Amino acid sequence: MVAAAAGVPLLRLRLSAADALTADHILVLRDVAPTVLPSALGAKGADDAVDAFVRWVRDYQEGVPLSHGYGEPRLVRTGPSPAPGYATQVAALQDAARARGGRFSTLPLETRRALLDDAFKAAGVPNLPGRPAGKHVVADLMAHYFGSSSANDLCYNARIGRNTYRAIRITTVRPRPLAG
Amino acid sequence: MAVHDTDICVIGGGITAAMAVEKIATLRPDLRITVVEAGRSIFDRQNRIEYHRRSMAYGEHPWHDDFIEDQQAKGMISMTMAVGGQALHWGGACNRFSQEDLRLKSLYGLADDWPIEWDDLERWYVEAEHRLNVSGEPSPYPEDRRSGPYPQGPTPLSFNLQVLKRWAELSGLKFSPLPMARNLTPFGGRGACGLYDTCGEVCPTGARYSPDYTYQQLIAAKKVTLHDRTLVRKLVLDPTKATIAAAQGAHQDRPGDPIEYRARLFVLASGQCWSPHLLLLSANSRFPNGLANSSGLVGRHMNGHKFISAQALIDDETFPGQNMTHSLISREYFRCATDQAFVRHDTRVWESSAGKEPRLRSAEGKLLLGDELLADWRARALKGSSVRLRTYYDSHPSVDSRLSLDPASKNRYGDPMPMIEHRLDAQAEGREAATLAHCTNVFERMARASNGRLTGQPRVSTYWDHPGGGCRMGASPAAGVVDSFGRTHDHENLFVIGAPTTPTGGCTNGTLTFVALSLRSAAKIAESVRG
Repeated sequence: MVAAAAGVPLLRLRLSAADALTADHILVLRDVAPTVLPSALGAKGADDAVDAFVRWVRDYQEGVPLSHGYGEPRLVRTGPSPAPGYATQVAALQDAARARGGRFSTLPLETRRALLDDAFKAAGVPNLPGRPAGKHVVADLMAHYFGSSSANDLCYNARIGRNTYRAIRITTVRPRPLAG
Repeated sequence: MAVHDTDICVIGGGITAAMAVEKIATLRPDLRITVVEAGRSIFDRQNRIEYHRRSMAYGEHPWHDDFIEDQQAKGMISMTMAVGGQALHWGGACNRFSQEDLRLKSLYGLADDWPIEWDDLERWYVEAEHRLNVSGEPSPYPEDRRSGPYPQGPTPLSFNLQVLKRWAELSGLKFSPLPMARNLTPFGGRGACGLYDTCGEVCPTGARYSPDYTYQQLIAAKKVTLHDRTLVRKLVLDPTKATIAAAQGAHQDRPGDPIEYRARLFVLASGQCWSPHLLLLSANSRFPNGLANSSGLVGRHMNGHKFISAQALIDDETFPGQNMTHSLISREYFRCATDQAFVRHDTRVWESSAGKEPRLRSAEGKLLLGDELLADWRARALKGSSVRLRTYYDSHPSVDSRLSLDPASKNRYGDPMPMIEHRLDAQAEGREAATLAHCTNVFERMARASNGRLTGQPRVSTYWDHPGGGCRMGASPAAGVVDSFGRTHDHENLFVIGAPTTPTGGCTNGTLTFVALSLRSAAKIAESVRG
């Protein structure tokens, strides 16, 4: 999470319309999603993951105190929205894909990988951020999905339901597999 | 100046005040009780599902405006200042200390004894556990005898913790589910646990005990008057006697308009930081070193305990995320033979996903996409399990482990803010290396039992957890600020309750002990105010 110092003015702002991802941007993200998200999600699951990410971005609020911690606490607020750079990043990815011959999803896997590798390196994205951080929209989409409870379930192929409502008795047995 | 008359004025609105007021109000319904708290009331339980959601999604603090920016202390472990105090977002751990904590001097020649008998304190533990509705299982160690059962059975162990209990006990230590103030079924106007696993942040159902519920119930029943957002800045002496006549402060919205609380008895329930701080701030010509400070011990012997953390990797299979806020505890090392090198600590075990997070690049630096990333994550996640380990260990404070007034940091009124500097006494300092070696050995022994290994060196904490002290109890005016009931030796109608009164900080979570001591104080307070 991008975190600003305590000096940031206390603001609780919804993102302006100009910052929001447009329908065209969302279509590009939906085109990219099947490459960067697990195939087990299927087309609808990948679209849902994009929509969930877009909702996350839309509902982001700036200047809100983060948990101030325990032990060595300090006041930190949420930083600027990660969204302002997204439109440019989406357009750049789209342009790069066109230059290689077409829509992103139609390119060979290694070409797609090279495009994203270049983009992430240029944006300074060494790993998945803990939460979307604004360095690159596709890395943020990936971070948003892979940090989710459902991704954790998919990894372990188990109905764990981390941080969701569950009766305690459910957790006392080995979690059932997802397909079960 | 606005003046409020009451019978008992309680300064501070945290968990110890909540418990004490609830008890006093039951024992003495004839008394008027006023609680004055510097922070605000956050009585909006209907919003907590949404606060939980945003906390998980964005990391936002779920207790909005639960702190006062210019009322902060250096060395304090939490910024929270609100009705409910730090127990708004505690984890709910309810471990007892042990008899040894009260007899460190007699048994080991270390630190100090407490001026209270274990059997006396133990019955207050039972009451505290009932008021907090603790879920727990009797300790497998016979020395941990109880005079009454837990009000609830233990929080059921998740599949993960069952696996980890089998693993951990291969080392020879006996483990129990951590006792927790967590409703398994609805109780006290609060819901049952829904395992959101965010006890330490916000509990959407109220299953984890939170003092704001108690205050709302007491207010609804007209048993207490709550003045929130009101900072008490000074206690004022009676001009002719050594008793407290008034507490003076101001409301946040009217800083230039002083308020005075006059009462027959004053209870300082502001925790280990703000209680001694107020006594020091209240210095006057008759008590130039601060009120209740003829011993010179106000703000001294600030205690707590340090801790040692480690991560292990073991062969057994677990599924991280089942119940990450619950844990196992062993009390194996609560006792130390008197003819051996002194070391006391609890031993805790949690499920963990450390080192098994998804990553963007392979070890060779290749960008991982989609199924590749998932496969890489799975390969690491399913290869054994991470385990989180920790010991809280005896960290006896020196007299120079202290809270002082920091002239460089002042609030809006110009009052110097507190500065806490914890210091071990010479004997505790001298055994630091041996304690680390001992705990490392315990962790390694546990890891080896499953062909496991520690991942990295165990680390000693940079702060003292569950802090207390600053107004330590002592049998005589020379030995302490207060007696064992929390009554100050210098001022007949002034009590300090809870964490500040502890001479030493134990080697496990302190809240249950703070509450038990407060209930004991409350009974004494109730009988102290004549009808």
